[in-house]
Amino acid sequence: MSAALQQHQTALTRTVLVVFAVIFMAPLVIAVLTSFKSPPELTQVLSFPGEFYWQNYSIAFSRMGRGLINSIAITVPAVALSILIGAVAGYPLAYMRGAGGKFVYFILLTGMLVPFQIVQIPLFFLVQGLGLYDTIAGMWLVHTAYAVPFCTFFMRNFFASVPRSMYEAALIDGCGPARYFWKLLLPASTSGLAALAIIQSRAIWNDLLFAITLTSSDQSRPVTVQISGFASSLQVEYGPLMAGTLVSILPVMVAYLVFQKSFVRGLLGGAGK
Amino acid sequence: MIPREWIPTRTTRTHLAFLALPVALFATFYVYPIISSVYLSMHSWDGFSPDMRWVGLQNYKTLLAQPRFFNAVLNNIAWVAFMLIVPTGIGLMLAAILDRGIRGESVYRIIFFLPFTIPAVAVAAIWRWMYEPTNGLITTVLDLAGLGWAAQNWLGDPAVVNASLMGAVAWWTTGFAFLVFFAGLRNIPTECIEAARIEGATSWQIFWKVSFPLLWPSTIIVLGMSAIDAMRLFDIVWAMTQGGPAYSSEVLATQMYDLAFGRFEMGRASAVSVYLLLIAAVVIMPYILYMSSRVQDSEAE
Repeated sequence: MSAALQQHQTALTRTVLVVFAVIFMAPLVIAVLTSFKSPPELTQVLSFPGEFYWQNYSIAFSRMGRGLINSIAITVPAVALSILIGAVAGYPLAYMRGAGGKFVYFILLTGMLVPFQIVQIPLFFLVQGLGLYDTIAGMWLVHTAYAVPFCTFFMRNFFASVPRSMYEAALIDGCGPARYFWKLLLPASTSGLAALAIIQSRAIWNDLLFAITLTSSDQSRPVTVQISGFASSLQVEYGPLMAGTLVSILPVMVAYLVFQKSFVRGLLGGAGK
Repeated sequence: MIPREWIPTRTTRTHLAFLALPVALFATFYVYPIISSVYLSMHSWDGFSPDMRWVGLQNYKTLLAQPRFFNAVLNNIAWVAFMLIVPTGIGLMLAAILDRGIRGESVYRIIFFLPFTIPAVAVAAIWRWMYEPTNGLITTVLDLAGLGWAAQNWLGDPAVVNASLMGAVAWWTTGFAFLVFFAGLRNIPTECIEAARIEGATSWQIFWKVSFPLLWPSTIIVLGMSAIDAMRLFDIVWAMTQGGPAYSSEVLATQMYDLAFGRFEMGRASAVSVYLLLIAAVVIMPYILYMSSRVQDSEAE
């Protein structure tokens, strides 16, 4: 390839990258600027705020502070429970031989294609019957249960990439299969568990559907429901709304930036070797 | 020897004990509610009264005669096509460009991936502000460029609302496709690329004849997840338009929610959800079959 052509091509790809970077960043930058603007400044979307108008953030916190606490109280235990249940189900399915294990795996996988709408109405009555309607514990249970297909799929594939010889050696040494799981396999699987934890924190923190179906009061409503209500009120105040939105974005965004590598490695699993 | 006889049975018993709780959860939260929804879909019920009237397949027939229902089905199909093509295509393009080794690579990687981490309701809030018809960013930029005539009532006009929603979703989900493709490209052994280059292939040929086929594990993950997300699509539509204006941006999930929790027509809402399940099964079952058949492949190795 001639040097001129190559240079031309590099310039073209650079332009494409810059254009897309601007498109990707613009909404976030505008949201940050808006969150610091006083109400009269809002009409000038491209201007910088005259001075930092922190009041937007105090309004947002007074309206959504409780939701943020609820979101944390729901997400942290639900993530731990869901990756644990995925590991517990994935372990036997990775090691069982024969048609039985494959059948159970297939059935659990079909859960991934189920749109949650088909469970929504019975789930509402089921959770009410269990006395868990509008409780944080109810959200733990529901998020754990609906994570079973994906978490099982993920952890089964991860365990399948752990050398089988480790398992067989442990059994020959007299280590029981349950002991092997808790003492050897789980501690050796931290990278897979971390990747799954990241995926699950996004899914659970960001959930709206289960939250609007199964919670009704400030005692248990997560921040996503509050933002949704805030955004669809008749007179939307974009300053406080952008402030609250940005605060709700931060926890998962930071987690992803910190754990990005393990997320990618875990997602590609055995296929990525 | 006794242990050889003994270990498998004990192992099997442990395995079954491990499976008990996940399977019980699956039965309680997937199987039972699905059966219950199918049962409900053959009734007329408001969710409160003890009077639940059997209507057979009437709800299904009524829906088929409704333009509102058909519109939601068509929207769902459009969403599947859109999710499979647009975020996947842009993500693949960005990953391929960035894979050639460009300065500032890690910064671009973070920028392209960031929107994916944001909750749907936050995407909705931000993009409602972008699409604000008088002061929003998009209208402002069009005005500045002298294209003010092209500005629309982005979320208020039935003719453009779906395209507006898709723009927001492309911004939101492209990062996932990008990151998975990028990781996949990084995993391709450089010898394969080098060999093709020595043979005299152009970079365009190398990408389509060598890299892209080797990207299959990434491609299957991205396509499968896109199809699943498209069928489950609810949050973003609900938070941005609630299906409006005049039901024009409705998908089956938001229609079902409106019928069940807005109008308390539990039977008809259940029938919508059964249709949705059937469509999802047709669209996604090939993916599930493929993923579960890959089990045998890995064990055979």
